[in-house]
Parts: sequence; C-alpha cells; structure tokens
Amino acid sequence: MDEKELRLAECFLAVFPGINTDEIAKACSTSVQGWDSVANVTLLAVVEEEFGVNLEGEDLARFDSFSGILSYLRDAEKCTWT
Amino acid sequence: MKLIEALAILKSMRTRKGGTFACFLAAGLNPLHLKTLLSAELSQLFRDHIIDIQDGLYDDFFGNLDRLAEADVEAGIVLIEWSDLDPRLGIRSPARWIPSECADILSTAAGRALRIQCMLEEISQRLPVVLCLPTLPVPPISFVPGWQTSSFELDLRAIVQSISSKASQCAQVRILSAQRIDLVSPLRERLEVESEVLTGFPYRLPHASALAALLASLTRGPIAKKGLITDLDDTLWRGILGEVGVEGISWDLDHHSQMHAFYQRFLGALASEGVLIGVASKNERSLVEEALQREDLALSSTTIFPVEAGWGSKSQAVARILKTWNVGPDSVVFVDDSPLELAEVKASYPQVECIQFPTKDSASVYDLTLRLRDLFGKSAIFEEDTIRIESIRCSSVATEFSDAATPTSADFLEGVEAQITFDFTQTPLDPRGLELVNKTNQFNLNGKRYTESSWRNYFLNPESFLLLVSYRDKFGPLGKIAVLGGRRNGKKLTIDTWVMSCRAFSRRIEYKCLEELFEKFEVAEIELDYSKTERNAPLREFLGKTLGTDPSPGCIISRGAFEVRSEILEKAQEVMNG
Repeated sequence: MDEKELRLAECFLAVFPGINTDEIAKACSTSVQGWDSVANVTLLAVVEEEFGVNLEGEDLARFDSFSGILSYLRDAEKCTWT
Repeated sequence: MKLIEALAILKSMRTRKGGTFACFLAAGLNPLHLKTLLSAELSQLFRDHIIDIQDGLYDDFFGNLDRLAEADVEAGIVLIEWSDLDPRLGIRSPARWIPSECADILSTAAGRALRIQCMLEEISQRLPVVLCLPTLPVPPISFVPGWQTSSFELDLRAIVQSISSKASQCAQVRILSAQRIDLVSPLRERLEVESEVLTGFPYRLPHASALAALLASLTRGPIAKKGLITDLDDTLWRGILGEVGVEGISWDLDHHSQMHAFYQRFLGALASEGVLIGVASKNERSLVEEALQREDLALSSTTIFPVEAGWGSKSQAVARILKTWNVGPDSVVFVDDSPLELAEVKASYPQVECIQFPTKDSASVYDLTLRLRDLFGKSAIFEEDTIRIESIRCSSVATEFSDAATPTSADFLEGVEAQITFDFTQTPLDPRGLELVNKTNQFNLNGKRYTESSWRNYFLNPESFLLLVSYRDKFGPLGKIAVLGGRRNGKKLTIDTWVMSCRAFSRRIEYKCLEELFEKFEVAEIELDYSKTERNAPLREFLGKTLGTDPSPGCIISRGAFEVRSEILEKAQEVMNG
C-alpha cells in the first residue's frame, strides 16, 4: 500500500472498527458489516476531512468501495496537478 | 477535534469499566457528526464513563423535547436552529418567501418560543439542561440587502433572546455563550448547504467540532480553580518596587500601564466571587505593605491573603500560601512575568497552572483575563464564596491562637464561641451540598463524585437523608462546610457520602456530626461506605482514631464504642493542650 492507500485504510478502520485489515483493500458496501447510509455519510465526511477534498454529490455512486474512493482521490490529485 | 479522532476516542471508550453517562440531545436537525463529536468530547471529560447520547427523530423538535422530558438521562442538551422556530426559515422547506409571509413567520416563531420556554422550565425541574440557540446565519428572507439589518431579523433575534432570558432564570439551565461560539467558529464557515440538502445535517465539520466542545463543557459544568497567586513587580503593577519606590510603580493611562489596572480590577472581581488571591513577591516586606496600601489600587488589599514578600524562592512562598489556604496545587494558578520564576514553581509543583504575565502587551493581558475567566468560572456564587477569604484569615489567627501543633479541645471551642448548625432539609436540595461533594478531596469518605441528576435521584429514595453542616465562631462564619448523605435501614444507618471543607478541620465538627446522627436517628450502628483515595488521609486518620483500627470498606461504628472513644480522645486532647 502506498501512503494514500494507508491513509484511506485508516479512515475505513475508524468508521468500521470491526473490519479485518487484510480485507480493507477489497472492502465495499455489500461486504462490510454495518456499511449503511449513516456509515457511508460518516466515511465520506472522514475522507473529506482527512484528504481536504470535497466529494461531489454526482460522484456519490463511486464511493461504495475502497477502490472506488481511492480512484476518485487519485483522479482528484491528477486534476490538482494539471 | 477531527471526526477521525472522535471515532478513535469512541472506539477506545468501549473498554471502560465505569458507569454510563447518559444524555439526550433534543434537536430538529439530523445530529449525525455532531453526535459523534459530542460523544468524544464528553468521553474526554468523563474519563471513566461510557457515554450514551440518545436522540429522537429528525425534523421533530418538539417531539424530541417531549422525549427528553421523559428520558432517563443525566442531562439534556437542547439545540435550536432557525427552522425549529418556523420550517420556512430552513433550506429544505418548499414554502414561499414573500414579504407578506414575514409577519406570519414571526408569529409562528413567537408561539414556538413560548412553548420552548415552558418546556425548558418543566424539564429543568428534573434535569440539568444545556441550551444552544441558533448558530447558523439567518437565511436571506427579508427584502433588504445583506449589509442592512431588517426589522424582520431584529424581531426574530428578539424572539430568540426571549427564550434565553427566560431560560437563564431557571437554576438548572446553562446557555451556550453566543460570544464564545462567535470567537471560535466564524459565522461564514458554519453552514454546509450540500450536507443540509442531502442529509439534514447543516453544519460544517469545524463548526460541529467547536459546538461539540462547548456543549460538552457546559454539560459537565465548570470545575473552577480555587486560588490565584500573583507576582507584584511588572505583574500587579508596572515597575520594580525596590528600584522606583512606592510612588514610582504605576497602573494608569498616563504611564501607559493601564492594563495592570485592568488586571487588578479582574483580580478584585475574582476575589469577590470567592477566589483566593495571594501574593508571592521577591521584595522587602515593608515596601510591599506600603505599596498595597496605595489608595488608587484597583483592588482592595484586604482581599489579598496571604502576602508572601521576601527573598526566598517563589516555590517556597507558594508552599506557604498553599498551606495557609489548605488547598492542593492542582487548584491553583500562579501568574508571574518571569519565565524563570514560573519554571522554578512548576518544577516544585507540576500541578500548579503557571501562566506568564505579558507585561507591555496590552492585547495579551486582555487575553490572559479571558483565560483566567475560564479557569475560575462557575455557574453560581454561594454565600460561602463571599466569606471564604475572611474565614481563612480568621482561621489563620485562630490557629496561631490555639497552637497549630495540637488538636483543638472542647474548652478552646467554647472559648471561641463555636456554633455548629445541622440542617436535614432535603427539599429543595441546596446546591452548595453537591458543590462541596464534588470539590472536596481530603476529608472525603470515598472520593465519589455525583452529577446534578444522580445527586437528586439519590435523595428521591424515601430512606435517604441529607445533612448540611454550618459553622461559625467569634472570628466569623465558615458557612456550610460539611455534607453527609446516607440511608436509614431499621436500626442501622449507612453513610454513602461524607465530605468536610479543609477550612473546618481541627474543630471536632466530625465528632459532632456522628453524635448528631446517633441522636437524631436513634440508631445503634453507622455503616460507612469508606474507600481509601490518594488524598483522603485526614478522613482516614479520623476514622482510625474513632474505630481504634484502620478503616476498611463498609466499616461500622457502634454508638457505644463511639461514645467511649470520643470521650477518651477528648480527654487526651485536653491533656495535650495543658
């Protein structure tokens, strides 16, 4: 895991304390117990705060898995650089 | 506090072994992250407890107030936003904003405000309530431009003001300071429109965090420091007394030293609220005495006691002051302009809060007073607060008079015309009782602390009793200085709480308390819910003498044995006192 993945994993661990660390990279809303709408809002707020990004409403569909959020963060970083 | 930090705190809280601190958050908004942040802030303040924040239904403010009225919790937190006064004031409402609607909005808001006032009055009879009035900006309903205040907004704010004015008269309602939230959370950085639309949670995270911290502090209530020790030169006044003389020191506009007068006025205010003010100064004592008699001093020199002036170390002076006040170093703040002196005191007393006086920096002096206000702030002032310094001064005289090395005999107490008053009144509960229980460490049966709610619930038991003890002698009153709480069970009495102010030591008041209980309840035995704490050695020593052995949890004092041992101890003291 690179630094961004590690930071995102910390966010997942904070919101889903029971999650197995080995499974974070594959985590999605259907596989993680307790990933309901409230947990989703909390997760997105934690990610926004940690990464200083604003997760836009129209992209919400992407934010139902670790990989989806990670790819959004990587895309956002590219946009910042270009 | 960041949300991820709050979640980590809540995760670690789950392993706690203490009791549960339950409170109810009554709001019309979706509490979402505010609830998480508030739980974390409360868990930092109630370090042994598991925090349980209950809430009601979204968009049902008055229903949630009803739920709070029925809830089995320690405290209530009532959070009002504009849309709770009229839904048209919220973003999510589809209603029209036309000038002709404004009067109707005000009328609805006024009616709801009245209902809120009544409900707060009712709920606060049973529970302490923390009240937070709208913190979000008023939406742009009125037709005037944003830089002009509309009569609509003024009337709306007057309605909110009426809620707080009425609520502030309820003893158990604490209102969040609008000035403080304005200081820590800029108005334009509070509203999160997107979140409000999507989830019904209208706050940006930094604002929710600021609110949570303040609401948690209000919920716990202030734990005020007891005493302030101040330096003199370049602190209480500008100038070095030994160099410029009594007339050379200053605290006025002409000498650009007005902020020292401001500091003096602030100390005078603290003293009048019951805070102990002492002086630790490296100076000639006679010069200091002369300087403190200057008529233009902005605080009365009689409110300062003791004055430790000399050439020894500041930590030695602090030690003597702590002994005179008989308070622990963790209850004291030391203010000095010299970082070296602060470090020297801190090295000897790490628990003393040491603060540098920012000489020649007016803005920082002002900020210092804000900080001191937080450290010494309390929710109410009692009669005992107003007589504290005088009673310590008199105790000091009385101690010299009686010889500090030996316990006080009955003859001595008769000589000083000691009067002890016992008051068993339980309704209404005197708030001074809980204050004493929660701040007394040395003569404390078990160190147990109570919330306002748990204290009140304890005395709902018809078997319970409360004894408040007051003392005065020819040197003056000490006020209410001891509290005993317990239960009667047939021929046995159990004491669950027993504290006595350190100012009342060496007067045999503790013996008189037990005598009074045996007499009043006509019981043969008194059981004590005793626990050893780090600081309750004075109580342990008393129980050891009374029991003839080291006390243990649940120890029992029989009336017969108490009378015999009390008499022996009395005679022993008379012999020691000659």
